[in-house]
Amino acid sequence: MTPDETGSHASSASGADGGTPPIHLRPAVVADIPALIPLLLRLKRLNEEFDPLLKVRDDAEEQSRTVFRAQIADPKAVVLAAEGVGADKNKVVGFVRALVRERPFYTPEFEGVILDIYLLPLYRRRGVGEYLLREVSVALKAKGAGVVTAEFPAQNEIAGRFYAKRGFRPITSIHARSL
Amino acid sequence: MAESAAAPHPPHRVGRRRTLTSEETIEKRREDQTDLLGRRAVELSRFYGGKIETVPKVPVRSMHDFSLWYSPGVAQVSRAIHADPDLVFELTGRWNTVAIATDGTRVLGLGDVGPAAALPVMEGKALLFKFLGGVDAIPIPIRASSPAEFMNTVEGISPAFGGINLEDIASPKCFAILEELTKRLEIPVWHDDQLGTAAATVAGLINALTLTRRSVKETRTVLLGAGAANLVTARILITLGHDPHRLTLVDQKGVLHAERDDVDELSVRNPWKYRLALKTNGGGRTGDFAHAIEGADVLIAASTPIPGTVRPDHVRAMNRDPVVFALANPVPEIWPDVARAAGAAIVATGRSDFPNQVNNSLIFPAVFRGVLDARARSISDEVVIAAARELAKAAERKGMNAHHILPTMEEPEVFPEVAAAVADATVRLGVARKKLSHDEFLERARTIMARPSRLVRTLARAHLTAPMPRGSIGRRRAT
Repeated sequence: MTPDETGSHASSASGADGGTPPIHLRPAVVADIPALIPLLLRLKRLNEEFDPLLKVRDDAEEQSRTVFRAQIADPKAVVLAAEGVGADKNKVVGFVRALVRERPFYTPEFEGVILDIYLLPLYRRRGVGEYLLREVSVALKAKGAGVVTAEFPAQNEIAGRFYAKRGFRPITSIHARSL
Repeated sequence: MAESAAAPHPPHRVGRRRTLTSEETIEKRREDQTDLLGRRAVELSRFYGGKIETVPKVPVRSMHDFSLWYSPGVAQVSRAIHADPDLVFELTGRWNTVAIATDGTRVLGLGDVGPAAALPVMEGKALLFKFLGGVDAIPIPIRASSPAEFMNTVEGISPAFGGINLEDIASPKCFAILEELTKRLEIPVWHDDQLGTAAATVAGLINALTLTRRSVKETRTVLLGAGAANLVTARILITLGHDPHRLTLVDQKGVLHAERDDVDELSVRNPWKYRLALKTNGGGRTGDFAHAIEGADVLIAASTPIPGTVRPDHVRAMNRDPVVFALANPVPEIWPDVARAAGAAIVATGRSDFPNQVNNSLIFPAVFRGVLDARARSISDEVVIAAARELAKAAERKGMNAHHILPTMEEPEVFPEVAAAVADATVRLGVARKKLSHDEFLERARTIMARPSRLVRTLARAHLTAPMPRGSIGRRRAT
C-alpha cells in the first residue's frame, strides 16, 4: 500500500550512489527569493495533503516572501539553495530552511530545527536529500546547535522513514484539534 | 461496420421544427437501442433469475454414488490434499476456477454502485469466462470498507481458486490492490481494466506500427487520459522497448511532467502516475494536449467519451500517417471517419460496430486459460506482452490491413493460440507449476475452450435451458 520512496516532504534521497550530488549548494541570497517561493509553496501544498489542519493560506505566497526575506538576513537561520547542474545550471531545484532555537529547560541548550527540505522530483533518489541534510546540520552546528530536529506532518511516512534511516527519532509530538 | 454506412432510415424529428443532423441521428438511434437493450436485459434477468448456475460434472447413477462424491469416500481425497497441498489442483475443480472479485466502486460507466449492484455485471463476466475461456468463474462482490479489508477477504477465499480476476475497482486503489495481492497470493491475479485493456491496446499498436513502417523505439506516442488503462499501457510500452522520453501522458491538467504543480500530491496519492511523470516526456513538453500532440506518431486516447475531445486539427498536427486509437466507451473521443478524413492512417476504437475494436474480451479468457493450464503462480507484464504479441500475430496471419489490425470476436480459433502463448510465457518465466510443450498447451486449450458452446447448445436442445422468451419489448421490435 505504501508508495516506495517517491519523495515528498523531505527529499527521500535514499538512492545515494556515492558520487557527487548533481547539485550545487550555497547559502540563499535575496535574489533567489522568486525562485524559492514556488518550491516552498509546493512543499506546503504537499503538507496539505496529509492533514486538513495544514491547509495553505491564500496569502501564503506573500508570507513566504516575507519569511524568506527575514530569514536570509537572520543570523540564527539557515537557508540554503540547491542549484542544478548541466542544463539546470543556475536553476534553483531545491532548498533547505532551518533555524536555531533556544531550549530554556533542556540541554543541549540550542536546537537546530529543519523546517523545510524540498527538492524537485527529478533530483530525488540521487543522494541529494542526504547531502542537504548533512550540509544543513554542519551549518546549524556552526551556529551553536547541539541537537538537530526536523518538523514534518505526522502522516508523512516517507519523511519519517527518511529521517529514521539517518538516526533521527521522535522526541516530542504535536497533537492538534480544531477549535 | 460503421452504422452510418447502413442507415436507410429518414432523420428523426424532434418537435416540429428542427431536423437532427446525421450525427445526432446516429447518436439518438444508439441511445434508443441502448435503452431497448437495457429494458430487455432486465426482463430476461428476471425470467432466468440470473445468468449462471453450478452444474455437476460427474455422473450420478444413483444415491450410492454420493458415497464416492461425498462422505465417506471424499475423506480420503481430503487426507491426500492435506498430505500434499498441490494435489488440490488435481483432485478438485480448483485448477479451473477463478473468483471475480469486486468492491463495486467503479462498475462499468456507472461508478460506485456497491457490491450488490455489481453482481449482474460479475455474472455476465462469469458467462464470458465460461463461454470463451472454458473457465469456471464465480462472482464474488465484497462489501469492504477499505482496500485492506477487501484484500484480506480475497486472500481468505483464495484456497478455492486457481486465479483471481479483479473487476471494477476504482483507480488508483486498483493498482495497490493488484500489486499487493500479486505479492501475497500464490495464484495469478489479474485486473482487466489495467492489464486486459493494455494488452489489447498494445496488440493493436504492434500491428499499427508495422503497417505504418515504424519501430517501437523511434515512435513518439501521446497517451490522452491517465487512468488505469493508459498508465499500464505506458508501462507495458516501456517494457516493450518504447523510449520513455518519447512518451507523453496528458490528462485534464495537461501534459504530465516532473515539475507539474500537482506532482508532489501524486507522489502520495498515485505513485504509479508519479513514477511515469518522472520518466516520460523527455522533450520537456508542458501545456495542453494540442501542444503535446504536435508531431506525434501515435495517439492512444482513453479519456472522456465525448466526440470532439480529439479534434481533426489535433490529428492534422500529428506526424505523417498517424495512428489514432480513440478508446473511450461508449463513444470514442473522435469518430473514426472524422479521424480518417483528418489524415489518420489507422484508427481503432473500443466499439464492435467499427473496424479495429480494441476489446479486452479478446484477452482475458485466453490469459486465464493459459495461466490455469500452466498452474501459474503469478502474472507479470511479460505475460501480458506475450498475450499481446500473440494476438497481434493472429491478426497478421489473417492478413492484416488498416481495417484489420486485431482479430475480432468472430475468430474463436485465436483464443487457444493466445492461451498457449501465455502458458508458454509462464513456463519460460519460471512461474508455471505444470510445464507442457506448446502443442500440448494448445491442444488442451482448444479442447477445453470448445466445450462450453457445445454445452450451451446441448442444454438448449434438451430444453434444459428455457428458450428466450419473446417479451413485450422484443415483440414490439419484431416488425
